Amino acid sequence: MDQLFFLISEGFKNVWRHKATSFTAVFTLYVTLIIVGLFMVGGENIHKIIQYVRSKYKVDVFYEQNVSDLQAKVIAEKIRKIRGVRSATVIEKKDAVNIFRDQFGEDIFDVLGYNPLPASTVVNFNRNSAKRLKFNAIIEEIKSMDGVDVVRHQGILVNKLERYYQKLLANFPFVSGLIVLIAVLVIYNTVKLSVYSRRKLIYSMQLIGATKSFIKMPFVFEGLLMGGLSTLLVYPSMLGFIRGSNFLIQSVAHLKISLSVDPFLWLWLAGLAAIISILGSYRAISSILK
Amino acid sequence: MIEFQNVTYNHQKDVGVNNLSFSIPENDFTFLIGPTGSGKTTLMRLIYFDLFPQSGIVRAGDYSSNKIKKRKIAYARRDIGMVFQNYQLLEDRNVYDNIALPLHVLGFPAKEITERVEECIDLVKLDGKEKLNPTQLSGGEQQRASLARAIVKDPSILLADEPTGNLDPVSAFELVKLLQEIHETGTTILMASHNYNLIKGRGYRIMELQNGHLRGNG
Repeated sequence: MDQLFFLISEGFKNVWRHKATSFTAVFTLYVTLIIVGLFMVGGENIHKIIQYVRSKYKVDVFYEQNVSDLQAKVIAEKIRKIRGVRSATVIEKKDAVNIFRDQFGEDIFDVLGYNPLPASTVVNFNRNSAKRLKFNAIIEEIKSMDGVDVVRHQGILVNKLERYYQKLLANFPFVSGLIVLIAVLVIYNTVKLSVYSRRKLIYSMQLIGATKSFIKMPFVFEGLLMGGLSTLLVYPSMLGFIRGSNFLIQSVAHLKISLSVDPFLWLWLAGLAAIISILGSYRAISSILK
Repeated sequence: MIEFQNVTYNHQKDVGVNNLSFSIPENDFTFLIGPTGSGKTTLMRLIYFDLFPQSGIVRAGDYSSNKIKKRKIAYARRDIGMVFQNYQLLEDRNVYDNIALPLHVLGFPAKEITERVEECIDLVKLDGKEKLNPTQLSGGEQQRASLARAIVKDPSILLADEPTGNLDPVSAFELVKLLQEIHETGTTILMASHNYNLIKGRGYRIMELQNGHLRGNG
């Protein structure tokens, strides 16, 4: 029991004894975990962002002059049934007059003596699909309908956004794996350097008659403590980052998006930090103790 | 007991030891003398199984070089205390913790560790310096701390490799006197030195190494 207590306390004391190397290791862990954490937060919120962006996609469908409000409603119903369309709201001819008055301050009847404005439909799209929105196909289908005159849309921008989103989704597992791998390598090498700087201690322990496992244990506890310390720093930083981002998004950019953090994120990060630092310490000390 | 049977070990560039045969009985105090590079350190390293002979057999206590398994080396060293010319103290901890370290390795209970360490600090006259780091001590004090660390576990064999090499004559004399006191408690001691004046006339056995060969043994 005394020996176990010694090994644990030795591991913890080593962090204090070797402040400079410990600080470097904790800082490296911290930066790496921040990158991993931000990536996790990004992954968690990317869908929310694309939902918001999709909610802003709008297509205006203008009908031919001879299409009545009733016919417009029938066409709008057909549009609503297209895959990917969430809603199709009809703007009747008299509503178009009101919109014109609101926007230009004049009544078109007073100017022309008749209403030249056609009925139209505002089309909105599904937000929740992880699949790419086939925007061009939808536009083409709407254009091919009888009675449709002009379709106005932001096709180039929407297509670009949808393409990037798909690319991001496709590469997410690969990029996450790569980031975690880089994190493992960075932390492993930092811990290895920290262990290597204490090879005199290791040699002295060997001369005294310490077994390999006895020599390794304090380094493992030390790794665990450094992992814990960096996680303690990472979580408030992540929360601060998210709150700061939300403030900027809502107050400065005036967007109605609120980024969120999984309350268990710190557990994931702590687990990752613990596994990496323990394995890193263990492997580093094993390579020196050969 | 330490025993060498036709032991040869050659380094790639330096002289090692050649066909050495001798034995040091229990409770003996032996001086190993020879110029720098004569093979004294190699001989010591063979005893604590840091090196293994290319031919022949080394026996130290209950272990022999031809039978010991790699994982048992740590256990063999637990019965051997070592003192080095450059002290080998750990600079990241104080004198007390340096001396206590072997006892932690051996799994002594905390209370006994305190008693033994204080006893050794008394013996090597480092009272009041327990909390200092090795770098805050003089060379003589560091070597005495190193000696305390070597004897705190009460080893049956004590190897001292040029322990006075970095000390002034007074400190060197005091250290040899301390080793004599430790020997009187029943510890087998082998001390290597190139300073003949320090060891002559003490009535102990002197072995002389020259280019890895044993010249004098008596």
